[in-house]
Amino acid sequence: MHLIRTHRTFSKLKSILLRRHSQAALIDQNEYTETPEYPPILDMSIQGRKLRERETMYEKIKQLNTVEEKQIALNMPRYYGWPCVMLNEDKIPYNAMPLVQCYTRTHFIPTEKLPDSYADTASTADEITKEVKAFIEDALCIESEGVEHNFSLSLEKPEPSQKEDALAKCIVRQINRIISNNLTDKVPHIISTQVDYDPRHEAFWFVGGVDIPDSVLNWRKKQSWYKDRLEENLDRPVQYIGTPFLTLRNKLPLKPIIPYSEAENADFKVPKFSYSPNNVGYFTNFRHGTNMPGYWPGDYDEFGMLSYHGRGHILDRKESFGPEDNLEALHCQAMKASFGWLLAQANYQGFTTYNDLTYPLATQTVITNGQLWSFYAYQLNTIVMHNEQMDENPKHNVCFGTKPMKLYDSIENGKVQGLNEEVLKTLVQFYLNSPEEREHDLKPYLGKEEQVVADIEDDRKRCWLEDRYKHLVANRPKHFLPPETYLWEKIFKIQFNLRFHEKKRRPFELDINPYKRRLNEHLPPYIPKLLRKYPRSKKKFENTYYPDVLNHK
Amino acid sequence: MKLSQVLNRQHIGFMFKKHWIIQGKRVPIDTGVEDYLKAKGIPVEDALEFVKEKPEVHEKVNIVGQYEEPLPLDENHPNYKAKPCYTLRNTNVLLEGISQAQVLTKTIIAEDKLPPKIEELAQVEAPKAIHENVKKAILSANVFDCEQKKLPKIKDPQRPAYNFPRILGITDRRRNQILTNRLLQLIEKSSDTEVTQTKYVVNDVETHTTFDKDEELIQFQDVCNILVTSNKPVKHDTEKDIPFVEIPDLYPVKHTVTLPMEHFYSETSKYPIKPSVSMNHPHTTWLHFNKTEVSNIYETPVTSNQILGRSLTHAFTVASAYAKQLHGEDVKDLPEPVYINCIQTDGQNYHFGVLELNTLDVDGNEGTKNVWYCKNDMKLYGSSRYFSGMPVLENYNPKVYGYINAFYNC
Repeated sequence: MHLIRTHRTFSKLKSILLRRHSQAALIDQNEYTETPEYPPILDMSIQGRKLRERETMYEKIKQLNTVEEKQIALNMPRYYGWPCVMLNEDKIPYNAMPLVQCYTRTHFIPTEKLPDSYADTASTADEITKEVKAFIEDALCIESEGVEHNFSLSLEKPEPSQKEDALAKCIVRQINRIISNNLTDKVPHIISTQVDYDPRHEAFWFVGGVDIPDSVLNWRKKQSWYKDRLEENLDRPVQYIGTPFLTLRNKLPLKPIIPYSEAENADFKVPKFSYSPNNVGYFTNFRHGTNMPGYWPGDYDEFGMLSYHGRGHILDRKESFGPEDNLEALHCQAMKASFGWLLAQANYQGFTTYNDLTYPLATQTVITNGQLWSFYAYQLNTIVMHNEQMDENPKHNVCFGTKPMKLYDSIENGKVQGLNEEVLKTLVQFYLNSPEEREHDLKPYLGKEEQVVADIEDDRKRCWLEDRYKHLVANRPKHFLPPETYLWEKIFKIQFNLRFHEKKRRPFELDINPYKRRLNEHLPPYIPKLLRKYPRSKKKFENTYYPDVLNHK
Repeated sequence: MKLSQVLNRQHIGFMFKKHWIIQGKRVPIDTGVEDYLKAKGIPVEDALEFVKEKPEVHEKVNIVGQYEEPLPLDENHPNYKAKPCYTLRNTNVLLEGISQAQVLTKTIIAEDKLPPKIEELAQVEAPKAIHENVKKAILSANVFDCEQKKLPKIKDPQRPAYNFPRILGITDRRRNQILTNRLLQLIEKSSDTEVTQTKYVVNDVETHTTFDKDEELIQFQDVCNILVTSNKPVKHDTEKDIPFVEIPDLYPVKHTVTLPMEHFYSETSKYPIKPSVSMNHPHTTWLHFNKTEVSNIYETPVTSNQILGRSLTHAFTVASAYAKQLHGEDVKDLPEPVYINCIQTDGQNYHFGVLELNTLDVDGNEGTKNVWYCKNDMKLYGSSRYFSGMPVLENYNPKVYGYINAFYNC
């Protein structure tokens, strides 16, 4: 006991005796220069300070070494997850195109045929189309009449759309099989291409420039520091979720469709959609943001080539929406799916919604029900659109898309009537579009040695990060219920102050927003005394390895 | 006078209790309307007089839902038969495994022997690039796929009540689907286009076969997870002098043990591909063994012997359904034997088999018999998973790919 006390007194004494602060002024002798060097003038307004705070966080995320850490870093500010606007692949409300275009920052170009970059492969595609035509006709007949499928249908979706999607899935698998088998000897990239069935595609990003809801406005009116920035926009977290029928991916990225310099072309500007997404029919859900292009970080083939999607959801739309809106719905689906997949791929290259791409990525998307085929070519130029970047970022993404075209007219007596070779040729051209080596660094924001968590040498850190990342992206329910304001509290405590003599204990009485809890605000696992280090260790809790990106409270 | 405690606070529970007490004893207030009406000479009647009558019973309305309701399983069901049928589904296994399968299908076994052509083709070395791609396929099925679904509960036999945290990951169904499809794609890509053009691949199709054995009706209902068909029937040259494993005597067990009896079945067999299709001859059938889906009807774990039995019954189901489609429902001894290749896998272990179907007359143990050539328990890899945060593939065995390739190309 005596020992400890003396130790404590000494430590206090030390700090008094050393007097560190008084010595600092003596060091710099040459404080005069020829021209005066002023410190940078900082904007000290509240907006300016907030912006600097945010920017330091973006810079910290950029400096992180591994993909997984960056993904955890995106979720660091929220323990209970972000209230994400859910863009599901197959839920497209009426007149959703302006929202989807704005949220994916995509300029849509309707075309009759593929963009010019596909012109080189046209003659080869013609030959191959002739070769595979007969086999594809056979496959179409067999799938629609010759095989007895037993599709297992779920009760969650209407039956016709599920049946259409199931049949389309079979047809797509057959067509992919026939074309890839035929092309293996002719083009080198097909053999190493990985084919995924029903992969999990998810993407997460922030969209700025959306109007604030009334509840937020009312709250701001009460706060004195919000006096001159009542209308300041909020970021909306957006989450895309989709499941294509089939995707092809490769080790190398596809060539850009248009030159990268075109990304800043003013013609591609997308009108801003500042209304709340609820007005259109997109709703929010609390979840952690996830970016997933169908494989975990560390897979060899990281760049998408082609993805096939179903269009069964068109059958579930109301008849009153009309054919024009159905066509727009297809375009929306293509834009969402292409942007979502490419964004997830970009995240695996070390870019995030805060750190923009340094090179363009491209993908090809096909939406089909077996008979009707629409083709889309998408180029991702930018993924930054949070806060003020919504207005300031000059770059836009570009999507070329065709109308749905009939592959065949009908199937009668086991014969395909009127096979449209043009459609087939377009599809073959998608397969012939070969990925290429890029001359620049593909992963400028990832570490040199450590690019994924599996590269980390420290065993504990690696295992911890791996576990935490998988747990986070699984979005499984929390062990404890999320915080809630009960209805009686809302009536008797918030709306009418009727229980004023009660002790104020609840978060809303203490002016705490429980949803602002940070991801690392929890007790780490306890180390039982028996397992602590010999002879005596005061360390009660295990280490955590959360990326340190947040500004200190 | 009794003094009670003064409560200086409001309590939501007490508040509700009080409220219930007050609201529970409500007395109708006399509004004076009755007297007023009587004074005016208007007759007043008791309201209870009007509710005396029982409400009219309406007929039940037939609500048209989103889905057709399935017919009730009773004697009016179109598939109802008085004679029960012993049914083996793909989620069930035979109690005695391969020996019971032998009795049921009247088959003799050539253990560890495949037709010479397959053995020959299997020895052909595949290029290194192919093996790299097979490794990629194994890794992407076991490690890199993003599925996160609940895996079966972990149990420790030493402390059975202990609850381990539930792990999310790739289910066995998805793992097998990815791996087998990738392997087949690789083989097709590395084969000549002429070969692949004569073949057709379908996923998840059902086959049923119904047959009599010793005056009892038996049906096998199976799902081919991948069925490769070709434009002509597959043929094998077989050796004659092989030490066959003869059909065993199961006594005291009866051959229909653990086959549940069913009254709802159809007597005709079903082969998923119609005869009008030119490529309808079954070539190779792939069967997945998904540990979470296949089980004994009693709770005992599935043994390796039972897994081998599955291969034989599965191959028999597909071959006989095809033979019945070809020669009619009542065919007994086939004019020409039907051959079919079968690969069963749980992702890691591969069981190869070739069935020579000579007869569909499975009564007794005498007469023409079917022949099952098999080579079992070949491991494709030692282990493949995330091991302390790193993706791992251990002990890859390149021979297995050779056999799968040989099965496709024979």
